[in-house]
Formats: sequence, C-alpha cells, structure tokens
Amino acid sequence: MAEGSSEHKGRVAVITGGSGGIGNAIADRLQLEGASVTVMDLVPRAGGAKLESSSSRPPISFYQVDVAQEREVDTTFKSVATREGKIDYLICCAAIFHATPFLQLSGDEWRRTLDINLNGAFLCCREAIRHMRPHRFGRIVLFSSMLARTGGKNSAHYSASKGGVLGLARSLALEVAGENIRVNTISPGVTDTPQPRDHLSEEELYGRGASIPLGRIGRVEDMVEGCLFLLGEDSSYFTGQDLRINGGASLW
Amino acid sequence: MVVRNVSNVSIITGAASGLGRAAAIRLAKRGDRVALCDLSEVGLKETCSIIRGNGGAAIRAIVDVRDDAAIKNWYGDVVKQFGKIDYLFSNAGVTSRGAVSDMEFEEWRRLIDTHVTGSFHVCQAALAHMVEHGSGAIVVTSSDYAVIGMRYASNYAAAKTALYALTKALAVEFAPRGVRVNAVGPGPIDTPLLRSRGTPAEWQDRVRDYEARLPMQRLGRPEDVASVVDFLLSDRASYITGQLLQPNGGQVMW
Repeated sequence: MAEGSSEHKGRVAVITGGSGGIGNAIADRLQLEGASVTVMDLVPRAGGAKLESSSSRPPISFYQVDVAQEREVDTTFKSVATREGKIDYLICCAAIFHATPFLQLSGDEWRRTLDINLNGAFLCCREAIRHMRPHRFGRIVLFSSMLARTGGKNSAHYSASKGGVLGLARSLALEVAGENIRVNTISPGVTDTPQPRDHLSEEELYGRGASIPLGRIGRVEDMVEGCLFLLGEDSSYFTGQDLRINGGASLW
Repeated sequence: MVVRNVSNVSIITGAASGLGRAAAIRLAKRGDRVALCDLSEVGLKETCSIIRGNGGAAIRAIVDVRDDAAIKNWYGDVVKQFGKIDYLFSNAGVTSRGAVSDMEFEEWRRLIDTHVTGSFHVCQAALAHMVEHGSGAIVVTSSDYAVIGMRYASNYAAAKTALYALTKALAVEFAPRGVRVNAVGPGPIDTPLLRSRGTPAEWQDRVRDYEARLPMQRLGRPEDVASVVDFLLSDRASYITGQLLQPNGGQVMW
C-alpha cells in the first residue's frame, strides 16, 4: 500500500520484541506505511539498518529495555509520549521460549518466562493505556500462541504465560472498550522465525508443515497481515478477540 | 485500475440486504466482479444498482439456496458470464423467535434447511469450481450464538452452530486442495434481520439496550462485518482457515 493512502500514516506505534522475528517485521511494515515506530527489546534490531538509512522516512527509534522491569518500561513510555505527543498502537511481541521437560523446569526459568511473556505485557499495556486514554484512541495487539489452547510437550511455562496473555487481553478489552481503545490478540501456530530454532532443526521446523492442513508452517508476513488487520479499521467491531493464524493446525 | 477480465469473481448469497449487501458493495469496490442471489427481488436490484453506480460489475439471480439444482444452474450462468468462481460468501439466512416448548417442527426445519442445508449446497457446488483451479476461499455467516447459545431461538442457535462445524470440516477437507474456509460470527448488527425480531416501536429501546450491554457501547454496522469478509477473502488471510472471526463489539470473547 502506498504510504500516502495508508490509514497507519502518522500513527505512533510501540513494539516490544521488535528486534526479533515477527516484531521486527511489524516494525518495518508500519514504518513503510508511514507510522512513527518505536521498538523496545533486549538487543538492538538486526535487519532494519539498511531501510532506515536509505529511507526518507523517520528512522525506527530503539530503546534497550527489559519489559519485565517496571521502571524501565515506565520511563520508556514517558519518553516516547513526550517526543511524539501520543501513543496510538501497542504491539507486544516480546517473548522467550526454551523448550524444557516439566521436571527440569527451574523456578528461575518459570519466573523468567512469565516475567517477559506475561508480566511484560501487563506493564506495557498499563503504561500505554495511561497515554491512550486522554486521546480516546488506542489499538493494542498482544501476541499469544496456539499453545495457550493446545498446550505442548516441554512448554508448560510458555503455554501458561501465553494463556495468561489471553486473560489479560480480554479483561483489559472490557475495561477500555468504551474509550475507543481496542485490545485483541494473535495466536500464531509454529512460525518461521528464530524462536523455534532454539529447539528444532531446520528439517524438523519445515517438516512440521506436513501435519498442518494448509501444508506449511506460518510465515512472518502472515502474522504481519493479521496484526495490521487488528490495528486498522477493517476490524472496527473487534475487541477481546483472538485471531488464530495457524494454517488450520488448531480449529479452536 | 482493475482489469476486468482478470479480476476475481465473488458469489454472495443473501445479498438483498444487511451483511450480504454490505459485503457485495465492499468486494465490488476492491475490484471483484460479484454475482448476487437472494429471494427478495427488490432488495437485490437495489444492491446491484448501488454497485453499478460505484462503477462495479454485478449480476443477480433469484435463487433459493435450498434448491440444489437452481444453485448449480446459477453457478453455470456465473461461470459463463464471468469465467470462474474465486470466492464465496455463504450468507443467506432467516431468523426466528420462540420457546422450544411452542416450536412447530416446520419452524425448526425452516431454519435448519435455509442455513445449514442451504449453505451445504452453496459451498459444495462452489468447491467443485474452486478445486478445479486449485484455489479459492469461502466465508460462512455463523454467529456469536454458535458459541453462547440463544434463548428463544434454539433453531437459530443450532443452525449457526452447525455452520461453524461445517466451516471447520470443510476447512480441513479442502486445505490440501488450496481452498480456505472460515466463518464470521457477528454480534448484534443493525440489519433488517435483527430489526425483524421485534416491532418497529420497540427498536429504539432495543438499541439503547444493546448500547448499555455491549462493551463497545454501540450496535454493529453491516460494514463492520463486510470488512472482515473482505479480509478473509483475500491473500491477507492466506494462513487462516477453519476459524471463526467475531466482529461483535466484545459481546463474546473466547
């Protein structure tokens, strides 16, 4: 879509986990559509540098932030809101997942997973809502996972954290629905990003496609399109909904 | 601009009003050539003239979706005129009100026949065309009530829940052949169908009741659903199949 005609032009977007897989691609796409994009992540963005330097569009701002640290999150949102005057979109992609058999899960790994995946989403939502509320406009997309419903071997910590995201999103959606702030989630199936490569070989990862009705694993672009749908006016009557982008791998 | 002979062809049933009309207008605006059916000739003509007024291409036919032979004949005409069938919005439906204890079997069957059997016929015949060229997408109009049930409309709730099940079954059966099948589950939308569940005099009270009850504090518009149909019947949703998307103002979350 040409920048001039995009409904995202001029929107101020904050993306957590924007240095990795899905978040990185959403950041690039929103910048292309003319939005003002801020990325929060533990590590700097990898692929964005070329586009940023060669483009006439404003560069993507990067903040090195641990989303589980309350003060870091608060400070960052204040800084973005001061610079941009508002915050329109929050997209929470920050997540960690190291596949671990249940009895080998340490308390530290359990807590760290819930900290980043769930508590981080809470802290970012709370700050974002504080800045969205005075403008009576806000669109929030939280990334859950197909595993929130189906569960999965070696993923009790991850599944629990992503189930928590669904509960957070729905309750928040109910609280702010009357203020023109919509909160929705995306539950991807297995997707072609660095994350599953933590515990799957290339062959295993692509091999997963064989058991999925549409015959392939998800692509980052599939998630980007779903996210833009939920941010935009095409989903004008959606709130508290979960968009399940999984190739038919799970039908509920 | 869209080149006429390569643009997509979309079938929309129940296109004389409400969701069907809004979806037809929306799909025609993006460049699809649309083939519309309904039982109401007046409404259907109106939908067509709105689309042609916008510069779109639309053809229409009076078809009862319960009539398998009539559907196949009509699809034959559509393919003759437009060359192919890419997308289907299976939307034709009727409403009903009444306690189970008082429900005549005929009234039960009218809802099941129109929604479920009708959608089966409409999808089956369209899938034959889609499978031939190895691609296509279908959206079926289900309802929030497929998830939460509905008081005094057991036949409507059963029909809409059956449509969700049909959607999932078709999705897994036809995914390997390149066709995606999804459902929309709208909440209360301001359509003639919703208005017909009460008297005109009660309408304003009902609207106020919806505004008080719905999290988004407003009744849905047909356009809120048409944009979702547009999304699902496009490559933007190429990895989504077997799902129920609910433009419902937050009425149901699950």
